[in-house]
Amino acid sequence: MRNQRSVKQEFLRKWITGLRRYSCDEKKNMSFLERKKAIKLSADIAMASTRDKTTRWSQALIANASSSGDTLTGSSKNNSSRSRKKMLMMRRRRPKVKSAKKEMSASCIAKRLVEKRTRKLKNLLPGGESIDEGCLVEETLDYIESLRAQIEVMRYLVTASQLIINPYP
Amino acid sequence: MEHAALDSIQFNEQIQGLMAPAPESTNSFTALLELPPPQAVKLLHSPDKAPTGSEKPPCHASILKPYPSIMSIIDGTRKLTFPSNTALIERAARFSVFAGEGPLAPPVAEVKNEPPETDSNPSSTQCDPAVENKGAKRKEREKKVKARSKKSKSVAAAESSGDGEKLPYVHVRVRRGQATDSHSLAERVNARREKINARMKLLQELVPGCNKISGTALVLDEIINHVQSLQRQVEFLSMKLAAVNPRIHFNLDSIMPNEGASLMDSSIPNMVSPLMWPEIPNNGNREQYQQPWQFDAFQQPVWGREEENTNFMTPENSMLSYDSSANSGIAAVFALMKITNKSGRGC
Repeated sequence: MRNQRSVKQEFLRKWITGLRRYSCDEKKNMSFLERKKAIKLSADIAMASTRDKTTRWSQALIANASSSGDTLTGSSKNNSSRSRKKMLMMRRRRPKVKSAKKEMSASCIAKRLVEKRTRKLKNLLPGGESIDEGCLVEETLDYIESLRAQIEVMRYLVTASQLIINPYP
Repeated sequence: MEHAALDSIQFNEQIQGLMAPAPESTNSFTALLELPPPQAVKLLHSPDKAPTGSEKPPCHASILKPYPSIMSIIDGTRKLTFPSNTALIERAARFSVFAGEGPLAPPVAEVKNEPPETDSNPSSTQCDPAVENKGAKRKEREKKVKARSKKSKSVAAAESSGDGEKLPYVHVRVRRGQATDSHSLAERVNARREKINARMKLLQELVPGCNKISGTALVLDEIINHVQSLQRQVEFLSMKLAAVNPRIHFNLDSIMPNEGASLMDSSIPNMVSPLMWPEIPNNGNREQYQQPWQFDAFQQPVWGREEENTNFMTPENSMLSYDSSANSGIAAVFALMKITNKSGRGC
């Protein structure tokens, strides 16, 4: 088990470094949504980089972010996801043709259910669509842990900043 | 012609499926899932019957010409290398007409001489850099794996054992010379499945409320819900942060080199404080935060014992002993954090 504490610290440090870029580059005031996206993006990237690119989802996340450049819209990210969806659609066509011929047994149904869910899980994971079954479980494990750490750190920051503005409610 | 096109599409999907898995893993069930077993085996073993003059081999040759590395899969003599998926799709999409371009043999012969990686790299130059990044990273990993020469062979084993099992088809790589022993293959498959089951158990423990559920589908449901909720929380928290801070503001000089007890711990307060001071000037802070310090000092012995949530906030001693102006505010911030933490746990 990793050292949770150091992971959180590293994440926080990287996140703040990433956020500083926004304050340095743009002197104008960003809109609310832009700020939110900036915060989230830098948080995601910081989280992904603390994993030292050892996991697939972290690589995919960083790759997605870098492909979308510094734009907070991430439109090119949508393009790549669209092409991925096309790939999935092409694949999805096949099972229907096949299942008509197969007889409906309990194991088949169960298998199909599981397939559906693994597909859904893959969609959730960044870079998870083209991933292998065995690795999927590992990646999910890792991703969940990192998400949790990220959420904790963010929550600390939120409460701290709220308390600064309004110390004694 | 239609038949050929359909076959080529099937083959495309199979290529995608074969390309999809990471090199260190040995299952590509999704691709082979889509094909009926006999056809899959047939497709994968087609080079053995190479120049039959039928439509299939030439079609595949034509598709695969730009991807000799994939041809090698059929050949079975070389490991898979994976150019990026999207590149393949673009290329394959362009191959709408399949003219018989000769037997399979010559391209296969070329394959053996070409290093697959350098070849697939230029072929994927048309993709956007991000995808190529992914491909590059994958190739780096593959290079390590490739060091041990393995014979690539696919087995379309129709396993229908167990309820809710996920792997009807298993793509297994066999060492050169090792028998296509059904026994050893089955062993390998079982070992694989054991590994996956063990990881699933870990996942079940991690996700709250999954322990009591039995059945893969429901457990997966829970996991999906959990991941979704975590992602939504991240979104929500980032929104909150954006709302709380009118603008992202940082004091560069507050970020000081580490002086305190440990490397990490002292840098954290420095990092936190700039973010926390959106518009209030530094002077104003100090007066406000005198009291939290005393508060904090009072509760310090109690907090010192607790480790779980105050993971990166335990060296409060070192923080409170700073006297520089920036650090006083920083310590205050951390004191506040601890207070909220404390109250959160209902003490």
